[in-house]
Amino acid sequence: MEDLAQTAVEHARKLGAEFSDIRIESASGTSIVIMDGKTKTMTSQQESGCGLRAFIDGSWGFATTNVLTKSSIRNTSEAAVKIAKAARARARIKFTIPAGKAVRATEVYRCKEPPSSVPVEEKLSFCLENDRSMKGLDSRVTSTNTRYDDFEIDRVVANSFGTLVNTKERWTLGMCSAYASSEGVIQRGHASVGSVGGFELMRRDQSISIGREAASQALRLLDSKPVPAGKFTCILDNKMTGMLAHEAFGHACEADGVLAGASVLEGKLGKRVGVEEISLYDDPTVEDTFGYFSIDWEGVRAKKQALIENGILKGFMHNIESSSRMQTPPTGSARSQAYNSPPIIRMSNTYIGAGDWKKQELMEDTKRGLLIQGSQYGYVEPAKGQFMFKCDEAFEIKGGELGQRYRDASLSGLILEVLENVQGLADDFVLTDPGYCGKFGQSARTTDGGPHMRVANMVIGGLV
Amino acid sequence: MTDFKELAAKVVEIALKMGLSDCDVVVTNSTYMSAEIEKGSMKQTSLVSDPGVSIRAFWRGSQGFSTCTGMDMKSIRKAARLAVSQAKAGTPDSDFKGLPDKARPSRVAGLYDPKLVRLQPDDVVGLAIRLAESASTSKFITSVNAGVGVGVGQVALANSSGFAGQQRFTTFEMTAEAVARSGSEMFSGMDGGWSRRYDPSLVDRVGMNAMDYGTKGLRHGKLKTGDYPVVLDPLSAGFILLSAIGGGANAESVQRKRTYLAGMLGKSIGSEALTVTDDPTIEWATGSYSFDGEGVLARRKKIVDKGVLRSYLYDSYTAGKDSVESTGNSSRGGALWSFRQLPSISPSNLLVKTGDSSLEEMISDTKSGVFLRVTYDYPNLATGEFSGLMMESFEIVHGELGPSIRQSTIGANLLDMFSKIDLVGKKSRDAFGVRTPAIRVSKVRIGGSS
Repeated sequence: MEDLAQTAVEHARKLGAEFSDIRIESASGTSIVIMDGKTKTMTSQQESGCGLRAFIDGSWGFATTNVLTKSSIRNTSEAAVKIAKAARARARIKFTIPAGKAVRATEVYRCKEPPSSVPVEEKLSFCLENDRSMKGLDSRVTSTNTRYDDFEIDRVVANSFGTLVNTKERWTLGMCSAYASSEGVIQRGHASVGSVGGFELMRRDQSISIGREAASQALRLLDSKPVPAGKFTCILDNKMTGMLAHEAFGHACEADGVLAGASVLEGKLGKRVGVEEISLYDDPTVEDTFGYFSIDWEGVRAKKQALIENGILKGFMHNIESSSRMQTPPTGSARSQAYNSPPIIRMSNTYIGAGDWKKQELMEDTKRGLLIQGSQYGYVEPAKGQFMFKCDEAFEIKGGELGQRYRDASLSGLILEVLENVQGLADDFVLTDPGYCGKFGQSARTTDGGPHMRVANMVIGGLV
Repeated sequence: MTDFKELAAKVVEIALKMGLSDCDVVVTNSTYMSAEIEKGSMKQTSLVSDPGVSIRAFWRGSQGFSTCTGMDMKSIRKAARLAVSQAKAGTPDSDFKGLPDKARPSRVAGLYDPKLVRLQPDDVVGLAIRLAESASTSKFITSVNAGVGVGVGQVALANSSGFAGQQRFTTFEMTAEAVARSGSEMFSGMDGGWSRRYDPSLVDRVGMNAMDYGTKGLRHGKLKTGDYPVVLDPLSAGFILLSAIGGGANAESVQRKRTYLAGMLGKSIGSEALTVTDDPTIEWATGSYSFDGEGVLARRKKIVDKGVLRSYLYDSYTAGKDSVESTGNSSRGGALWSFRQLPSISPSNLLVKTGDSSLEEMISDTKSGVFLRVTYDYPNLATGEFSGLMMESFEIVHGELGPSIRQSTIGANLLDMFSKIDLVGKKSRDAFGVRTPAIRVSKVRIGGSS
């Protein structure tokens, strides 16, 4: 594959590309879905193909093929150059990509039990055991879902700087959802576990208890009430702080959005964007996390990136293009979902650093507010500067103590206000659940995290 | 047109020889050409071809599914073996009653437009530039990010009951985000367009809408928490109804009692003003097809008739379980279909029956309220509760569109919200697979930020 990759890149250069790169992938994966104790689907996937980019004078052409022969890949190079030229003819913003450092490396992700070596019956057994544990917990658990995914990808990245990187990427993920019902009320709980690595992850105690965790949450929510709408001081748990790190600030720190004029952080580099206690990082190099990688999909070595330090905006996440245009070193933040998507800037493990409060002190110090626990999903529009996320459950805080349990709370805020409203960070930092982040139609594995954090004036959406 | 139907039928035969009870095979070959604009300048063009095959195998009701990229027989045989071994490893399921029978695909007009097939990269780049220019005609617009995509696909499906069909699709889609600035104020307006037909005028409408709402949003205010009448633009109505009706009426969720619409068949779920049809035969709509993802012929069916729930959306498995006919709502994903997509229940095109008010009349008839243009939130289908951020919304003040509202949320019980629909617009547009006019709900809880 290496020869094919280098030939394709050279061919694109000969045809007029100022820069070219290619990702050739061969991948296989398994997915199992169990519903109510029965297999819903058992899926296997075999993928192979390549995606090639050609850059000319500020414009890109991207073309793909599934046929990994020399002639087919040459045709793909020609197509990429041709459409790059079509784009260049109408481009107003011109820039160059200066020669960068060639990286020659091979990385094999740590993996004791490659998923492809594990019989499907064992994977099924993991799912069935978790699925049974949900219904076994309480008769009010009426319906269950368990999902298991694994993926093995061999990827070659080559570019016209001379980079040639071989990566053997492996990851596994398990997820459970439980639906509990009582007196006409239906509630859902969920839990997941996932990381780069092999099936050994699914053998850990934590992994075989996700079913019970999901069912317990659904049962707890049966006793909850819809949250009241309004403005509240909120203490966010580790998961929700992680989602805030990702949604409220992480996306706005992606340099492609800044260059597109679609981030409220444009022009704020070096300026204060939050209270002094706040620091925000993106670090793909944390091993054994779902967001891990050490070399990105453009062949750039990844590193821990301080986005905000002590309340000051320090930097953005970059790929080769944005670093060239903003005249700063690339941060190794480019990834693509698969060979048939171009690499774009993505977060990896994004988190807010710990403070020095104790969680209990934060609680006791809050006269009236909400404790927000767990995260379902969130999204942001960096151009409007607004974000929204949905939590699993919330509790009333009254006089420093927990009261009524609430459900269906959505939290929203403004990027440029929220970190100014932080009033205390606890010392209990953790990286939390694995998840997928969507951007431009592509999905990327990520992890978020942080400590418990108190934020004033959060807008809570609710039904009452 | 290459005969992929023959290939699909051949793979069915191969899989059946491996000892299965039932199977179906899908072959798809799509090409997607797109052009992206960043800050008003042409940035990237893409040409993605994506051929592949999927095999769904059944053994005692247990389902195995396997996919491979490309169409070489070695990979396909391996995929067939994997599908069979997956099916045999799974748990038996007596609720599986078989795949759809042999049928002649119905003729549905407006699935494929040869004009889109003839477009070259230069043409798509030209359309993207035209979209960006349409969105830039106000002096307040400082940046336009936009994209135009043209897809061409061919799909063949064969199954062990003797069905074999083939259909061709095209798709023409675009999005635009116009960022407006005035002093320190910043707002962005977005819009999208979706069709199976080449329609350059759609490019202009999408660009103008993004520009118009981006500019209007520069003046902003804050709203107090309270109950307000809310006018849903077709963009937000489509996004909410796709999930609330399209997802809520999913027969699998009903059978597993995971939806607020379980047990509601024949009962009122909304006001008489609400009528929703699932219609895969709408000419040029992106959810149209002549047969569904399992080979069931396309047919129109009322889901909600004058507020009464009339039907759920079925595939062959859930139909067999309820001893009814499949409604032909098995989806293989998206306007072009993909071999990667495991069949799942989905609406085709949801069609909301029009009323007799214009959007302008709805707004002028609302003394104090909210105009919700964009939300990206999904209802909790299990509880039927919906709470989310109003991503692009405006206050209605004395019957006129007022300032944009920041950081405010909407919360409603879906059944309550549907029962409070008091006005339905007379002009529809397509949004996220739903053809809908604007809809007014007389009272909804808004979480304000003031």
